Amino acid sequence: MELAMAKSSNLTRTDLDSSFESQLSVSSRTSYRSLRLAEKERRKNQTGDPFVLALKYFSEVKAGTPRAGNDILKRNLVLVERVGLSRGMPPEAISVMLDFAMSLRMGGVTSVRVLKFLIPATVVPQEAVVRAVSWLCVGKIAISTQVLFLRWVLTVFDMIDSKDHIRAIYGFIFSFVTEENLSPYICHLLYLLTRRESVQPFRVRKLLDLQTKMGRQPFLLHLLSLYKVFYPKLVTLALPSRMRSGFKIHNSTWKVALCAVQKRNNGQVSSDISLSLGLKDETNSRKRKFHHLELPSLSSSIQSNSSSSRSRKVLSLEQLHSFPHLLDNLHCIELPSQMASLLGSSLALCYLDYVQDDSVFLRLNFWLGHALHEEFLYCSRDGSSGSSSEALHFLNRLLSTQHFLQEGFSSTEGFLYKFLNVWDGSLLRPQILGLLSDIPVVPSSCISQLLFEPLMQLFFTSTLFFKCSVIDCLNNMLLKWLTWHSVYALEDGLDISLNRHTPMNMTLSGFMDSVMELVRFVGRLATMGLQLEGCHSLLLSFILDFYETVCDMFLKYGLPLVVMPPAGVFYPALFSTDPVSVDRLSYIMYRYKKNLTSAKCQQQETKQAFHISRQTCQEFNHYLLFMVNCLWNSKMFLPGMAIEVDQELLVLSKVPEPWTSFDLNHHPAFLGYALDFHHKCWPERKDIDFNSIKAAKPWNWYLEFLFSQGFQGLQQFAQSSINRRSVAGISGQRGSQPTSR
Amino acid sequence: MMLYLTTFPYQESSCIMGRRDVQIHFLTLLVLYFSVMEERNSTEETPRNNALAQRRSKSYRQSMRSCVEATHLAYTSGLLTALRIPRSRKAPKSCDITKQVDPDQVALLVKKEWQLSYVTPLYQFRHTQLKSYSKQLSAFMVSEKQQGLAIEVGQELGFKVNFSVVLGLAETDKDAETVFIQILSKQVFSAKDDAPKVVWSGWLTCVNGDLDYLRSLPLEFVSLPLFCTRGPESLTVLVKSWFENIFDCCFGPLDINSTNLQWLASLWTGCHPTINIQYLKLVWTLPTLPPMDVTYTVHPQDAWELWDSMRQVDTTEDSISIDEVTGFIKGLQSHFFRHFRIDLSAGSLMQISTALGSSHHSGKIKIASPNYIPTILQLLTECALLKMPI
Repeated sequence: MELAMAKSSNLTRTDLDSSFESQLSVSSRTSYRSLRLAEKERRKNQTGDPFVLALKYFSEVKAGTPRAGNDILKRNLVLVERVGLSRGMPPEAISVMLDFAMSLRMGGVTSVRVLKFLIPATVVPQEAVVRAVSWLCVGKIAISTQVLFLRWVLTVFDMIDSKDHIRAIYGFIFSFVTEENLSPYICHLLYLLTRRESVQPFRVRKLLDLQTKMGRQPFLLHLLSLYKVFYPKLVTLALPSRMRSGFKIHNSTWKVALCAVQKRNNGQVSSDISLSLGLKDETNSRKRKFHHLELPSLSSSIQSNSSSSRSRKVLSLEQLHSFPHLLDNLHCIELPSQMASLLGSSLALCYLDYVQDDSVFLRLNFWLGHALHEEFLYCSRDGSSGSSSEALHFLNRLLSTQHFLQEGFSSTEGFLYKFLNVWDGSLLRPQILGLLSDIPVVPSSCISQLLFEPLMQLFFTSTLFFKCSVIDCLNNMLLKWLTWHSVYALEDGLDISLNRHTPMNMTLSGFMDSVMELVRFVGRLATMGLQLEGCHSLLLSFILDFYETVCDMFLKYGLPLVVMPPAGVFYPALFSTDPVSVDRLSYIMYRYKKNLTSAKCQQQETKQAFHISRQTCQEFNHYLLFMVNCLWNSKMFLPGMAIEVDQELLVLSKVPEPWTSFDLNHHPAFLGYALDFHHKCWPERKDIDFNSIKAAKPWNWYLEFLFSQGFQGLQQFAQSSINRRSVAGISGQRGSQPTSR
Repeated sequence: MMLYLTTFPYQESSCIMGRRDVQIHFLTLLVLYFSVMEERNSTEETPRNNALAQRRSKSYRQSMRSCVEATHLAYTSGLLTALRIPRSRKAPKSCDITKQVDPDQVALLVKKEWQLSYVTPLYQFRHTQLKSYSKQLSAFMVSEKQQGLAIEVGQELGFKVNFSVVLGLAETDKDAETVFIQILSKQVFSAKDDAPKVVWSGWLTCVNGDLDYLRSLPLEFVSLPLFCTRGPESLTVLVKSWFENIFDCCFGPLDINSTNLQWLASLWTGCHPTINIQYLKLVWTLPTLPPMDVTYTVHPQDAWELWDSMRQVDTTEDSISIDEVTGFIKGLQSHFFRHFRIDLSAGSLMQISTALGSSHHSGKIKIASPNYIPTILQLLTECALLKMPI
């Protein structure tokens, strides 16, 4: 006994020393010594840990043990305090010390001191908190200590291992709400603990009584607003915007130590110390009288809170905080009272994607349609002037929502059909065209009236840039339709037979008709547009973009449809003055060939009636023949070609050898390259004769030279369609072998 | 300064009517209010201005038609259905509405001016829950009035809200029954025993709504597209926002366009043989600078005779076509032009009134006689349904 005393007194001394020294940390000697002590301590851990002994002391000490002059108490307290503040306390230690503090066995001052160093290392056992609350009920504890305890619970709330037992004593905790000094903290704690089942009419009434006594206290309102979330039938409340910041944070006493401990126990998931309300703190400083573009906030509905759902555990969307949380509760999510509020939260949109219920979309569509109509079509009494930034913001949000969901809303679609008739083509152009490209497949019977006629009017009366963006929009629309088709066909195991019903009540042939209509429409637009704009290369580039999509419909999207570009697009691209267009046209022709060949192959394999008409193949062959003859064989304008020009007229033009003027060495688009090549080939020659390139050897070099300049399309076209042997023979037997027939 | 002109009764041959060879005693009294100093002969310029002003509504009608066409297709899960702008209507028949509807409730609706709005279908609205809605709404009103004070639902508060059903107004079994809402409030300085005063009233109704549209709605939705309100704007806003919150619906202002005002004028004039309409007053606004308001009052008998002359013989007795209506209005306009050289067709019809009721372009209506309530409400229901976004 004496030995133990001596040992422990020794320990106390060294402990004191070391703590003192560590505080000062003056000399290397002492730090060395403290290291040595730590080593010693670690060794002791295996045998009889003084920390464990100290805990044992606190758990066994009798009430009424004198505090003054109690060295053992002092020593053990210091020991535990040091551990608490440096490493944090293990769960069982928290349990013991909390019980010791709350039982007031050694007086209030000690209790306060203990509470201040109760820093959990890992978690806080909920039983400890439950027991502490039960001590609170005894009612001997000083108010300030009670407050301190509650603040501690709020601080470590996220570290409590589980909360169901604490929730079980919700009623006990609730009873403290009438204590004037405790009530802010109790409300906060209740806020964290409240579940739907805890909301009871008598509790609501109690809180409302308090409200009449204490006035509009933020903590009461926050708790009540949570009650309103669960039971809007019981309580109603409009939170003023200045009150929306949430509860005060009470962690000041422990914040530094807690952070240090968490940093030390590195990488542990730090508790989110700032527990704040997830309320929208957006200041509603809108001055508009009618704010139909303003998204409603997420709030649970009164409707679904009927008795049937009372038993079922449900979670309202406003309580969701993360995607995993959403996944865990996917089965029991309650929809908000106003469906449009889903648009404001990305989590909610994830849920919307999952929801199957038709009425959900109908409600959303009613709201959305209403907002769009009021803002852009009815332009009701407030007038839509001066709010263009709001409209812009709204449409952008709508666009990103539709992209997220990968589908257009039907109300947007209906709106656009009306709006296109009154649109000036400049108001919010990128947004409107973006929305337009999102519309689902339009049946061919009405596509012209709904879409083409208004678009055509706008197209022909607008600027070049508008024309480009319309073509771009239609290209995107086609891409989305084709993607939709390919995904759907894939789901059905790539069964591309006719008359299959798709989710949009559209048969494959109906879909093909619509696509056909769209492609033909763009063909008409493109032809006219190129004429109007003098074959502007920017417009041509957008048009070729479109045909790059069109030419690959069979191979890329599995749609058995090939539509050739009209002459009004093909020839301007071929005779274009910029080499890029010619190159892209070559690439497109190359892809057409690929698609047609594999379609033909499939047709032969499956013996199916195939819907690529003879005429399409003829058109393709015509183009191919013309292109090869024009670029390679210098056989333009000759009788029997696609374009025939009266010979006398050609003579009148006084162009020497007009049939050569668009072959690769004379083509205006490649003039620069031909010149360059000529210089490199015959650096000594002063007079330039492009015809000399046409000789067998230089011609092949010239082609290689062009391909090396990045004209991949030309190269692919040449490789797939040009018979090298016939190219070598300039005299020009048939240069091309149209293969698709 | 106002110019007050009166012409005296005179005779005029029916050349403007063209077809019938009847002498019409026409225009016993004609009153003009000019809001400009001098009478302006602005027929030359106004049509041009007017064309600009009208462009929106004209193309809107076009777009409406295109949407109508789109709706046959049912490619959006069967939601869109055809809504057609009617080209003909049944002639109004005087009926004693009080046989179907509680006279006390009818008295609440008539002889008051209502401001009109349209509402998208109400989600999960139940006629059986009206009591609970009363409690909810009154608590909501108080909590909105006293920002930041939580309110227990069901308490006795400053506001009392009454929801009630007006049975009998619905014409088909697809029409939802009309719901009437009253907000009563105790005045601040009233004595304790004073009964609370009605501070606001409103009703939601649907009379002869388009059957295809109503059928296409899922069961969870109740369509009561026409919302009439009377009372302070601030309360209307609160009620609307409560409805939007609870039934996930949207409200928008419902204006009565010229065509519908013309319909009303014709319908009311057609009632003259049964009930004396006493006068037919039409107000036009002409797009001059500054705008000119023209108030045009026609003797009821003259108006009726003109209307009767317009009625085509070959059409069946109880249907009225839009051509007859436009003919009627054109007749009135050309008569006016003869006298004042002002082409009223260049302006827009803003307001019409008779002893049977009055109606304003901005969406105000007053029904004075209970006998023609269904006819008027059917027309307004149509207007409201045409505003539905889908």
